[in-house]
Amino acid sequence: MKLATIGVGNAGSKIIDRMLEFEQETGRNLCRHVLVINSARTDLAKPDYVPEDRRVLIGDTHQKAKGHGVGGDVEVGAEVAKHDIDEIRRAFDDIDIHEVDAILVGAGLGGGTGSGAGPVVIDELQKMYDEPVYGLGILPGEYEGGRPALNAARSLQSFVQKVDNFVAFDNDAWRSRGQTIEEGYEQMNRELAIRLVTLLAAGEIDETEVAENAMDSSDIMRTLDTGGVSSIGYASTTVRTEGGGLLDRFRDEGEALDESTDAAKIKGLVRRAVNSRLTIPCTVSSADRALIILSGPSELISRKGIESARQWLETEADTVDILAGDDPRPNSPELAAVVLLSNVTETPRVDEIQNQAVDAQDKIAELEAVREEEINDLITDDDDELDPVV
Amino acid sequence: MKLALIGVGRGGSRVVDRLVDRESATGRTLCDGNALVFDTTETTLEALEFVPEERRSVFGDIHPNVGDDGLEGDPDLGAEVAREDVEEIRRAFDDLAFTDVDAALVVAGLGGGTGGGAGAIVLEELQTMLEKPVYAVGLLPTDDESDRRIHTAMRSLQSFVTIADNVVCFDNESWRSTVTYDEHAATESADDQDGDDTAVDDDRDEDDTSDPYDEIDDAAARHVHSLFGANELESTTLAENRIDASDIARTLETGGVSTIGQATLELERTDGPLPWLPRPSWLPDALARRLQGEIENNQTDAAAIKRLVRSAVESRLTLPCDVASTHRALVVLSGPPAAVSRKGFESARYWLEQETDTVEILAGDEPLTRSSTITATVLLSNVTTVPRIDDLQARAVAAEREREGDDAGTAATPADAGTNEEFIW
Repeated sequence: MKLATIGVGNAGSKIIDRMLEFEQETGRNLCRHVLVINSARTDLAKPDYVPEDRRVLIGDTHQKAKGHGVGGDVEVGAEVAKHDIDEIRRAFDDIDIHEVDAILVGAGLGGGTGSGAGPVVIDELQKMYDEPVYGLGILPGEYEGGRPALNAARSLQSFVQKVDNFVAFDNDAWRSRGQTIEEGYEQMNRELAIRLVTLLAAGEIDETEVAENAMDSSDIMRTLDTGGVSSIGYASTTVRTEGGGLLDRFRDEGEALDESTDAAKIKGLVRRAVNSRLTIPCTVSSADRALIILSGPSELISRKGIESARQWLETEADTVDILAGDDPRPNSPELAAVVLLSNVTETPRVDEIQNQAVDAQDKIAELEAVREEEINDLITDDDDELDPVV
Repeated sequence: MKLALIGVGRGGSRVVDRLVDRESATGRTLCDGNALVFDTTETTLEALEFVPEERRSVFGDIHPNVGDDGLEGDPDLGAEVAREDVEEIRRAFDDLAFTDVDAALVVAGLGGGTGGGAGAIVLEELQTMLEKPVYAVGLLPTDDESDRRIHTAMRSLQSFVTIADNVVCFDNESWRSTVTYDEHAATESADDQDGDDTAVDDDRDEDDTSDPYDEIDDAAARHVHSLFGANELESTTLAENRIDASDIARTLETGGVSTIGQATLELERTDGPLPWLPRPSWLPDALARRLQGEIENNQTDAAAIKRLVRSAVESRLTLPCDVASTHRALVVLSGPPAAVSRKGFESARYWLEQETDTVEILAGDEPLTRSSTITATVLLSNVTTVPRIDDLQARAVAAEREREGDDAGTAATPADAGTNEEFIW
């Protein structure tokens, strides 16, 4: 698939940056156009792979933002995007839409810019182009608190309504104990980028090696056609050590001859992908459609294995709408299985976020209601005997 | 956050003076020279060290009721002369570059005639003039100050809270007992990546020890500076979650009275052969660590970070209050990013949410790669249950009743600016 990728806000920009990094490292060619949009000037300096002229600052004239971000306020995030919509549109003008199959908009849903400006950006893209617009949303963890949960629950609704499909990533599922502020979300972003690029770049090969069963963009788009929220599973295995001698090569070929072991390996890998940490944990059987892609040296990808993996997933996901195929990467040191579960309707984490959001909304309303009165009570004495100076 | 910094009256001018000094000593931008101080007497302004002469402005001194000692603590007279001399005040504002700032901050002692009375007029003027937030830092009097000053403070607090977008309070009484507590060194080094001693500390040690306000003012300046100056250090490392001016503004948006807490954690270091070596920027980090020693135990555990934020909230507030009455909060962790556990950061944030009973909490980090400390700065915005203010109000009310009783006895006119002179406070 050929993509135009747009990152909105801090988290969205970083994930797009990691995608560019991974595709560059693995010699893929997925993101044909890239753009990051942010309301904080300093955060725009962060990406390493996004060219300077593909970074757009919005809200620098807005009274509450002024290039310093939107203070985690989703309303202000939407406002500044609407206000600077001409500027955003101008940045889109550079996208040569005939060169891309789809547009991917990435955003963190817990903050203000991604969650607020993201849907505005998507609206505009849907108006301007016929190509599908996919969303990639990072859901805040429970410990990020009530306000991010509220932002996310509200923004999720807008995203899912407006995009053609929404790939979700759950920060909580990916949180690990040892991380420091410095590492931050780096590792999580990297994992997500690997999944996205392996999935979406399937079929995009420069030196055309004809794959027997190759996936292409239309298969991916067909799977995403359902709309709703989707989850990605991934597993990989190292297939060949760099600079392996004749003996290694011989052994590889020897194994390749053994169809049954190879098929079992492929099936095992796909199984592992589905049972591993999904980008958002979900009940696999609630998926509407699914797609399996085996990416790696084609001599290792057994057709029989793909077929039995497909059959296994059919039972597991309780749908017959499953496409399976390969993405030959002759020089890849890894064999990877990536599984897209499209329109999963049972995701406990989304329910949790919604509950946390409802509580947060109530609490905010409670405080708003008493704010003026409480301030007045504090600064005046009980019998109101003291007068203000002016 | 970039500020236009304005000190009114003696207390306010002194704190602004400290802030200007801290700014240059730590390299943490706050007002970048955009400072101004007002008073009704020359003497206060002459005692300042760091605010340039041309940024010190005297007003009201030609008013018939204003003597050599200024307003003698009369806030109504303070408001009156400020209104009369408003042109003078406006002219002084012309020296400030308001276009480049995110907000204006007025610092004033609420118990003084100038700070409390004229301070309110200065706030009014700024609000009419600016479309940006106008914040105030209000210094509350100590218990051993006169009834009159406490009465004034409680009256001007009403005006300040009504006029300003938010009033950060600093309770001199709570801090008076802590002036011997030496946490300065710790926070100084958190502010200053190079770990140099700052001029502030040196001066204080040498100077007269007779004035406890030196240290109290320092404490006020330190808190105000770390909050509003968050992420204003020239740094090559970008914060993962940067606290930006918009975050501070959103937290203060509630109005009301706010308080700042701060605590610092020393990281253990191994001693290198040259721990005193200054760190030129060209010196590679790895080599610098070899020579100067490095932070041990590279990552603090999650519990330590949570404890740090907890101690900032529980024991070091500029105005002690019932934390659960907070409407919005903000927390910044400043320190070497490799040493701050993300889980600790998140659980500290979550703890604060439980403790303050509000979901409106913004949390960020400030990467100071070479710092040997981690500092937590917490802003609790719009705290509405504050026993200290209730106590001061009770004393002010008692004073007012006493005065009214005296009024009745001498058959004077009802309390107004004119009658104040007849009473000894």
